[in-house]
Amino acid sequence: MKLTVSDLTAGYAKAQVLFGMSLELGQGELVAVLGANGAGKTTTLRAISGLIRPWGGEIRLDGQSLAGLSAARRAALGLGHVPEGRQLFPLMSVEENLLLGAAFLAWERRQESLEFTYALFPRLSERRGQLAGTLSGGEQQMLAIGRALMGRPRILMVDEPSLGLSPKLAEEVLATLARIKAEGMGVLLVEQNVALSLEVADRAYVVEHGKVVLAGPAQELAQDERVQKAYLAL
Amino acid sequence: MEILLQTLINGLLAAGVYALVASGLALAVGVVGIVNFAHGEFLMIGAFVSYFLFTAQGLDPLISLGAAALAAFAVGAISYYGLIRPVLAAPELNQMLLTFGLSIALQNLALLLFGADTRVVSPPYQGSTVSLLGLSFGLVPFASFVLSVALLSGLYWFLGRTRLGFAVRAVAQNRLAPGLLGIETQRVYLLAFGLSAALAGVAGVMLSVMLYASPTIGFAYTLKAFAIIVMAGLGNLRGVIPAAVVLAMAEAFVSTYVPGGGGWVEAVFFLVIFVSLTYRSWRFR
Ligand SMILES: Nc1ncnc2c1ncn2[C@@H]1O[C@H](COP(=O)(O)OP(=O)(O)O)[C@@H](O)[C@H]1O
Ligand SMILES: [Mg+2]
Repeated sequence: MKLTVSDLTAGYAKAQVLFGMSLELGQGELVAVLGANGAGKTTTLRAISGLIRPWGGEIRLDGQSLAGLSAARRAALGLGHVPEGRQLFPLMSVEENLLLGAAFLAWERRQESLEFTYALFPRLSERRGQLAGTLSGGEQQMLAIGRALMGRPRILMVDEPSLGLSPKLAEEVLATLARIKAEGMGVLLVEQNVALSLEVADRAYVVEHGKVVLAGPAQELAQDERVQKAYLAL
Repeated sequence: MEILLQTLINGLLAAGVYALVASGLALAVGVVGIVNFAHGEFLMIGAFVSYFLFTAQGLDPLISLGAAALAAFAVGAISYYGLIRPVLAAPELNQMLLTFGLSIALQNLALLLFGADTRVVSPPYQGSTVSLLGLSFGLVPFASFVLSVALLSGLYWFLGRTRLGFAVRAVAQNRLAPGLLGIETQRVYLLAFGLSAALAGVAGVMLSVMLYASPTIGFAYTLKAFAIIVMAGLGNLRGVIPAAVVLAMAEAFVSTYVPGGGGWVEAVFFLVIFVSLTYRSWRFR
């Protein structure tokens, strides 16, 4: 499954945020979208998953345009989105949160998804009965990712998973994304933690003021002078 | 002693209908996120459906319950689609003005169509009483109470045990995530708002027999339902039943024990709102 975003423009009310965003994500790829706070990374993800309506440009999944489809329809097509701020159901248990991620799968498929997710995050399995609102930050992030995986997406978009986590936990969470990629999913990772992201990503885009200003293999970007100066503080 | 028992029973019986109306409002506030001042008008619609089916078709109110639920659901769903959905993202004040306007529009529409008279549905059993353990109470209030308990049990079962109910609870806790998980949130809102109206509509049928149908009957119930959900904690469905019991009991006691109590009963809801809000602001200061 291939996600193609071309020349996307979008914004809120009259304030334009995206000025021609373009990016691609293929199966089994981990691609990072990097950039400073306010660059338009979250807005890009929102437009892709149908939470906001773009002003112009195209979003395609395997060549099929997603225009006019609800967020739920896009999810059913295989698009998973772990939103900024995790957006868990705080008064529901870990397991209930996970099951909601597969709310409309057949029962046996939900059980399989549950086993897969618990295998990926044993910590969630230990806490399956605990209310989501009482988990630690790292566990909440795992739950948000696990919940998105429950619906068997083929593309997973993750918005700033390392935010608010200790460096060690951040590394753990990003390492999990690499394992998810190894399962054959395409992973689009939005991050401000540039150094860590370039370690796990195959490719990366650098976004400034609502469009891509730099793109390439992660290792090359890590060596790039502009990236080092602006984002890696070297 | 006997008067006390009788008062307690009157309060308890009245609580059933109150809980029905207030649970509906709690769905609108807690799930859809809209402060619906037109909630009582859905009740009014149910009362008129009951009245016209009774006079024109001779249908027993018990049978009208289904028709009233459907009618209120339909009006609720249409209101959601045409009026509520466009303002869901608007400032709260705009939403309130809109539902307040809807309330007045529906009242005036009923006034134009049916006139201001109060109309009572009087099936043959209307005056019947039930005697139990030396206490007697009306058959209609008793049956309404039993029906309310049954319907509320059904509602809790739906919310707690079915997938769709699960989705409704999810939307109430987070507005953004359910869509990303493949849940059509717009349909959930539509269903919740329709259900909210249907619960009020069913209560309207009961009141058409216990009280009457009239264009303005909804207003007092909107206020009482607000008092109940404020006491329960806005959007907290679980607290609705005990809060309904408290309001109904308080009214029953005022009616029995306060001299000239009949006139004060309709002010009890205000006392309840006042005490709840004061208590909260004092406790969470
Ligand atoms: N819901 C919103 N309403 C209005 N403006 C918003 C909203 N969300 C984000 N913005 C604005 O859009 C710009 C881009 O935000 P965002 O896409 O969240 O950037 P990033 O995720 O890269 O930090 C910012 O200037 C931000 O203030
Ligand atoms: Mg962001």
